Amino acid sequence: MTIIERPTTEVAVAGGAPSGVKPSEALGVFKRPAASTSWRDWIVTVDHKKLGIMYGVSAFFFFLIGGVEALLIRLQLIAPNGKVLNADQYNQMFTMHATTMVFLFVMPMAAAFANYFVPLQIGARDVAFPRINAFGFWCFLFGGLFLNSSWFLGGGADGGWFMYAPNSSTLFSPSHGIDFWTVGLQITGIASLTGAINLIVTILNMRTKGMKMMRMPIFTWMVLVTQFLLLFAIPVITVALFLLTFQRSFGATFFDVASGADPLLWQHLFWIFGHPEVYIMILPSFGIVSEVIPVFSKKPLFGYPIVAMSGAAIGFVGWGVWAHHMFASGLGPVSVAVFSMSTMAIAVPTGVKIVNWVMTMWGGKLTFTIPMMFAIALIVQFTIGGLSGVTHAVAPADTQQTDTYYIVAHFHYVLFGGAVFGLFSGFYYWWPKMFRRQLNNAIGKWNFWLMVIGMNLTFGPMHILGLQGQPRRMQVWTEARAGEGFFNLGFWNRIASIGSFTLGTGVLLFLVNVVYTHKSKKVAIAPLDPWDARSLEWMTQSPPQEHNFDVLPTVSHLDEFFHRKYETDSSTHGVTQVRSAEEVMAELNAHPDEHIHMPSRSYWPILLASSLPVIGYGVIYNRTLMAVGAGLILLTMFGWAMEPSTSPDDDFDPPAPGEGGGHTKELSPLG
Amino acid sequence: MKKMMNQLGESMKTARRWQNASKTAIAVSALSFLASCAKDAPQDTWQPAGPNAERIDNLQRPVFYVAGIVGVIVFAAVAWVIFRYRDRGQAIPEQTHGKPALEIVLTVIPVLILLGVAIPTASTIFKLAKTSDTEMTINVTGQQWWWEYDYPAAGSNAEQYGITAPIVTSGQLVIPENTKVLLRVTSRDVIHSYWIPKLNGKKDSVPGRVHLLRMEGSKPGIYAGQCTEFCGLSHAYMRMEAVVLSRADYDKWVANQLEPYKAPEAGTEAAAGEALFIQQCSRCHQVNGLANPDGSLIISAPDQYLVSGAAPNLTNLLTRNTFAGASWDLLTPECRKNVWNASSADFGERYLEGVSADCLNQKDLREWLRNAPAKKPMYADPTKLTTTGGKYRGMPALGLTEDQINTIIAYLLERK
Repeated sequence: MTIIERPTTEVAVAGGAPSGVKPSEALGVFKRPAASTSWRDWIVTVDHKKLGIMYGVSAFFFFLIGGVEALLIRLQLIAPNGKVLNADQYNQMFTMHATTMVFLFVMPMAAAFANYFVPLQIGARDVAFPRINAFGFWCFLFGGLFLNSSWFLGGGADGGWFMYAPNSSTLFSPSHGIDFWTVGLQITGIASLTGAINLIVTILNMRTKGMKMMRMPIFTWMVLVTQFLLLFAIPVITVALFLLTFQRSFGATFFDVASGADPLLWQHLFWIFGHPEVYIMILPSFGIVSEVIPVFSKKPLFGYPIVAMSGAAIGFVGWGVWAHHMFASGLGPVSVAVFSMSTMAIAVPTGVKIVNWVMTMWGGKLTFTIPMMFAIALIVQFTIGGLSGVTHAVAPADTQQTDTYYIVAHFHYVLFGGAVFGLFSGFYYWWPKMFRRQLNNAIGKWNFWLMVIGMNLTFGPMHILGLQGQPRRMQVWTEARAGEGFFNLGFWNRIASIGSFTLGTGVLLFLVNVVYTHKSKKVAIAPLDPWDARSLEWMTQSPPQEHNFDVLPTVSHLDEFFHRKYETDSSTHGVTQVRSAEEVMAELNAHPDEHIHMPSRSYWPILLASSLPVIGYGVIYNRTLMAVGAGLILLTMFGWAMEPSTSPDDDFDPPAPGEGGGHTKELSPLG
Repeated sequence: MKKMMNQLGESMKTARRWQNASKTAIAVSALSFLASCAKDAPQDTWQPAGPNAERIDNLQRPVFYVAGIVGVIVFAAVAWVIFRYRDRGQAIPEQTHGKPALEIVLTVIPVLILLGVAIPTASTIFKLAKTSDTEMTINVTGQQWWWEYDYPAAGSNAEQYGITAPIVTSGQLVIPENTKVLLRVTSRDVIHSYWIPKLNGKKDSVPGRVHLLRMEGSKPGIYAGQCTEFCGLSHAYMRMEAVVLSRADYDKWVANQLEPYKAPEAGTEAAAGEALFIQQCSRCHQVNGLANPDGSLIISAPDQYLVSGAAPNLTNLLTRNTFAGASWDLLTPECRKNVWNASSADFGERYLEGVSADCLNQKDLREWLRNAPAKKPMYADPTKLTTTGGKYRGMPALGLTEDQINTIIAYLLERK
């Protein structure tokens, strides 16, 4: 099934190239990088698994930066009239904290899991566009570094992550922080957009034989919905960011009230992106726990089609609720009523998921491993966040709650208690798959409990703070507005600050666990199937070889792996194990595929991506630099276009052929 | 089948046990939540003091109760599942993929609950947007980082309230009790949000737009609020209060606001203050009736010096009891307590006393006059004004000497 004919040594790509010369040399571009085990391989790799790990490591790095920003905020607010940060620094801190956590941690960390596991879960050898996949990663990394370089170049953005106009104009924010913000997010947006197209095409086109849509693991389903959300949401924010860049750097007046603009335009653009963004952040985590809970309940996901479809429903209704962020911004009562209703409506498919997780566990055989503990914590904490969400779907109540700490409590319960706990569940669950070692259980328990206690100590009191009138984004709070009694707002501010450091310690323990697991000689190699898992990614070695599967499995069930290991008696419904994981693997690999072609490494993705920040610095500092960046982009795009998708001499050595004469199966990455 | 019935019976029994337990749990959690709240937090959203806030409160309380009950049920279910189905060596369970009937029921229940919430929500939204019953209109304008109130002299029953000339004030909104006031909220620079939690929810003040916000207080008192839309450097220092007065006290307040300007007696410290005020302050700060030595009235021109184009009108500064965006008290802590903790019967009288020399909070006012940007972060550094066309975004440091500050304070003490 070759979609584009693969160039061979004999066929030169460029017209006039002398025969016998490799296309890359004929064009006078770089020699194609060859496979190696050195660090250089990480620069040129197009392997979805390596890119997944790179996404993960980079996102975790930004998570730590965002975490330090959060701790500084809580340190400032531990006592009245805080002196840790001045107003300017405080505004930068909460702006960059939110921006970092949303764009540089949760989204790319979900991308890390999606990149690594979607091809494995659907039985593919890589994604559809491996070089674009690499390009996306480098865009994310360079965009994130570009954004954070503002700290060393006059300070970060100071307009809040929502960056409302007209406070974002140069008149009110004269530093370059917001310029770094708009350009940086446009660069990371390219990563999201290309990643979305890549994963959609991969999931729709590259499923292995028998992997019907309704047999796909639920994580892959949630990733698919997320990518469609990204595909339509990222262009909206890109337009908004582009307009703001042009206003700040080139004198346009899109949001300038004096020139007749209505500042609500920005709010609509931002939240048309911003609300789907919420689901972009939570759905991958929903997918992760929907994998974890069935595994550790020894039961299939309860109501699989309903969970998949409720995810899709969230993906649709998620577009019709954006103005609930604007209930106080002066929309008319009809708009407010409509968005209030639609917001309540979206609670239904979300609630369905909670019910289905609980019902999955109901009647199961539960083992409380660390990933399961994180998953259960997600159910409980997300429920709290979901219910507080319903209280501000009630628009009149929201006019009291919006822009207070009650909202901060709400979205940290869904985003930290939900999305981040889901990601941590994924770390513990898939670590043995990715690194062949199981993270330490004892440290894992400390990690979990400190995070649960820290999270609830930090954000629980914020419900009280907000309902009793403490607004958000306040550099200081004062005793005059804190009320009386032992449990006054000062008390709860202190508790929240103490909680945040508990939470920070919990997160650090994860790092300790990683170091311990990989440095300690006592930690044994993880077994092939440590959790008695159910889906395809476990039907290969750990970590998977570059081509993922020696034999692409043919799928006949949802939870294929489980069905190969276990059989159900049709009369008693008793379930008995008939094969071990090793036996399943041996059976599968009895007749290995031949002629496995894998995409080749390339320098172009990193080169093209690194040209983008050059334009960015040009926009801010020097128009000539912009031209240089644009020239670099043209050159690198040309080089990329001229490079064949697969190097002709880079054929993968097939595994030892089986006796029955292996069948031929090819994967044709498009580029 | 029999097994199922047994299971059902068992779970019914446990369900009953759980029912009692969950009732207790709801009561305990509701009580402990209430007990863990601050007493008398001035911006508490659960203590309405006017019909608009009450309307919101009547809507939100049942929603919180329902949410609480749903939460307790989910937590109980999770706890039960964790307890009941943990691995005790039982056989691998049947690989059931779901029960459509159960799933439909569990989807319909939340739909019904939400319908029950949606209907009163919609009706409240429209009630709170009603403007046809307005008895009085006040223009409210936000700018970095304070609120201006403009009581128009024409239209909307102004005469009935004795407002024969426009009253322009800042920081504290003064309204008569049980009167349906409509605020016309807008902004001169960035977006702010007007919020007096005990009287109503918030409404953004957006430049180029006028938003309407109902405001009504049921009993005399002072109600705190804060700007709730992030508006730049001093967002935390943009506060406001609404003062509700009985109708009789309100009439006194209006009459006092409209009294003609009384120049200080010649030769007093206040007179020196007036001269200094004309020289240093009146460029931006209007004092109605203040005149140059040649008798010509002084009209301030803040639009020439400030990005927002406005500075607080100081004609009757000391009838208010806060300054600089209501961030600091003009009253000493004891005198402040005397006003804030007054019963609704005494409140009007105490508020109308204004700020006397004994009650003046000298410390904060002096610090402000010495170096305003050091006290409240503002974009007022003269070396950094290139992006704003040379205009300030707050009060700059004026470099006044202590003697000059004394005279200014003596002058301001007469502004009531």
